[in-house]
Amino acid sequence: MTTSAAEPLLALSGVNTFYGQAQVHFDLSITVGRGHIVCLLGGNASGKSTTMKIILGLVKPRSGDVTFDGASLLGLTTPQIVRRGIASVPEARRLFADMSVRENILMGAFVRNDRDGIAQDLDKMLGLFPKLGQRLSQRAGSLSGGEQQMVAMARALMSRPGMIVMDEPTMGLSPLYVDRVLELIRTINQEGVSVFMVEQNASLALEIAHEAYVLQTGRIVLSGPARVLKDDPRIRDAYLGGSEAA
Amino acid sequence: MSSWLDYTINGLIVGNVYALVAVGLALIFGVSRLINFAQGSIYLVGAYIGWVAVVQLHTPLPLTIILVAVTSAIVGLVIERFGLRPLQNSVRIAPLLATIGISFVLDQLVMLTFSPNPRALPSQLPDVRFQIGGGTIGPLDLLIAGVGLTSALLLFVFLRYSKLGWAVRATAQDRDAAMQMGVDVNRVNQAVFGIAAALGGVSGLLVGMYYNQIDTAMSLQATLKGVVAEVVGGAGNVPGAVIGSLLLGLVESYGVAVFGTSYRNLFAFLLLVLVLVLRPNGLFASARQAPPEPLTGTFIAPSRPVRIPRWALLAAAAAFAILPLLPVSFYVLQTLINAWLLGMLALSLTLVAGTIGQVSLGHAALLAIGAYTSALLSLTFAVPVGLAVIGAGLMSAALGTLLISPSFRLRGHYVSIATLAIGEIVSLVILNWESVTRGPIGISGIPPLSLFGHELISPTSIYWFSFGVMVVLALLQGRLLGSHLGRSFRAIRDDDIAARAYGLSLNRYKALAFIFGGFAAGVSGGIAAHLYSYINHETFNTQQSILALTVVILGGLGNVVGAIVGSVALVGLPEVFRIAAEYRILIYGIVLLLLVRFRPQGLLGTM
Repeated sequence: MTTSAAEPLLALSGVNTFYGQAQVHFDLSITVGRGHIVCLLGGNASGKSTTMKIILGLVKPRSGDVTFDGASLLGLTTPQIVRRGIASVPEARRLFADMSVRENILMGAFVRNDRDGIAQDLDKMLGLFPKLGQRLSQRAGSLSGGEQQMVAMARALMSRPGMIVMDEPTMGLSPLYVDRVLELIRTINQEGVSVFMVEQNASLALEIAHEAYVLQTGRIVLSGPARVLKDDPRIRDAYLGGSEAA
Repeated sequence: MSSWLDYTINGLIVGNVYALVAVGLALIFGVSRLINFAQGSIYLVGAYIGWVAVVQLHTPLPLTIILVAVTSAIVGLVIERFGLRPLQNSVRIAPLLATIGISFVLDQLVMLTFSPNPRALPSQLPDVRFQIGGGTIGPLDLLIAGVGLTSALLLFVFLRYSKLGWAVRATAQDRDAAMQMGVDVNRVNQAVFGIAAALGGVSGLLVGMYYNQIDTAMSLQATLKGVVAEVVGGAGNVPGAVIGSLLLGLVESYGVAVFGTSYRNLFAFLLLVLVLVLRPNGLFASARQAPPEPLTGTFIAPSRPVRIPRWALLAAAAAFAILPLLPVSFYVLQTLINAWLLGMLALSLTLVAGTIGQVSLGHAALLAIGAYTSALLSLTFAVPVGLAVIGAGLMSAALGTLLISPSFRLRGHYVSIATLAIGEIVSLVILNWESVTRGPIGISGIPPLSLFGHELISPTSIYWFSFGVMVVLALLQGRLLGSHLGRSFRAIRDDDIAARAYGLSLNRYKALAFIFGGFAAGVSGGIAAHLYSYINHETFNTQQSILALTVVILGGLGNVVGAIVGSVALVGLPEVFRIAAEYRILIYGIVLLLLVRFRPQGLLGTM
């Protein structure tokens, strides 16, 4: 693995996004280094989820650039971006509720055509998420929230991505599953997959992240190594929206 | 007993044919939340391609079926690529309207190519009947059943085992998530339109062979039946569509057995209304399914209405008022009288569809109720014509609102389906209720318009009368829109949940809108009855409902001046350019398509 800060895997630079007249992002710049976990923190309506959508090509910025592995993603459709190696765990999982767990996981490999490799990876996922083994033929919609999160993560990994973007992976989960999910994110990362995650739960996210950015009404107000930010009092202020302090 | 078995077999066979249409509708609805009103047109195209193949090319049966399936699929792909894909980011009503426009264009093209006269479509199969139990079954029945089963099997294998089939299912369940798995949603759309069209075309071929006759009226009927079956089964639910179709076939067949052929469609539409009212998600919809209907405010193209200065409106009104005094031909006056009558209908529809957002596809029913009321009042009860016309307005307001009230609890596309069905029911009741409506014979000898004992026979007086009535209705509606009531209507259109949260009773306001709109449409129908002097159950048909909708969209939804401008434009321009009558519907369809694509807010903007 080549680690060089000068050559990030993902870079958003000078992104300005609008919904109609309303500006959502102001000159947003974020980088994700190879092999890193980067989290984007922020409260409601700070523009976090829109950042995810920009990376996945679901929303187009008005100006600025998004590059992945050195090439611009602007002008690519979502499926094309997925083929470049970005997988996603969407907000609230978004499983295909009426398809079986097996079908959901295999949908993650939609962009691949190597039958044997896919079968191997499915086995690998069952090793990583042992609970899903007994659930394979069950309707995905019938699983609990935590189990669904496991399926969503397995589904994302099936495309053998270089990077996974996750939108609030711990939202709505029981404390037990929150720990489990964070641990899994770390495991995934140790296998060489970079992670970009959006979170509201700052203290949890900073536990596992390498770097973090704090987004407040569309502007980055704070960024740096997670170790450092964890102890920064401004995190709390920014996170709670105390603009006087920031 | 034996005849019951025959009716059952007949019901299942007809149900099989409906299923081929309904399954396509369900696939398309699943993937793009769109009710494809052009499905019946593809069925029509399929029937005529089959006719060309059988009668002119003398192809053997298997080749005929393949030829029809492939050609229809190509038509479906063209519709998807050029008619619907450009509208992907448009307002939610746009694709629905586009499919209506496409169906007009396709139907008219078929009619212009093959003439509207029915043609015989021989089945190429030996005409023998086998005895089974107490009933009989023929080779064609077996063919239809075989095609139905084979299609169902192929579709099942496709959805369950092919990669594209997985993509179709995933897209139907969560479009965004499917894209994030790398699914190219355009390809999925292409696939379902191709499959739906192939099945629809083959269905047309089989129906043509079954009844040994095809004609251009098949199209709308097929769309209606397919939509009924699909909604009964649960919109977007493919197995549900099959079961809904068989159920529909049986209900119709038994209905015919008991009451006679002219009741066939009545049962179909009553079944639809019943399902919409009792189980709007269909008999087999999963309870988890999120309501696929409009996110707020996205249903109608938002825009700023074009402001027209008051003096300009006054000047235009004055100019039209003194027009008969100028040396203009009766032909011009006649054309404008038609425009004013259509204008009243458009005022009604623009209020209902534009201001309060209930896109009605059955508005001609209000005309029919008004026309029959006025005709019967003046003929049977010798009520003076002026009063009879007012009676027509009141009757349409009351009866129309009552009939449409089952649709009040529905939203979005479902309202359009329900109103379409209710419109058809009105026409079928008129056809069958002979003691009152004189049934298929219609009503003739309706007295001419008169006011205070003076008969209005000259085009000039009729012109002034209809123009005056329309202006009064328009002024009233203008006042209404500016009032608190008008604002409440718009609030319900833009966000019915928020409106309800603010304490607005949706049903009451929808009823008020239909009462007002029903009056205007009833008056229009009443006047029309006295001008035509003869009406029957087909005088006011779905084509007129769609024409009114085109007018309303042309003018700008909710826009009073726009409704009148749109009427003058759509009635007047074909006259100005001397377009032959058979091309007019084609032109209307093209106008609708162009509007939806390039100016969804209409000429004068939505209000």
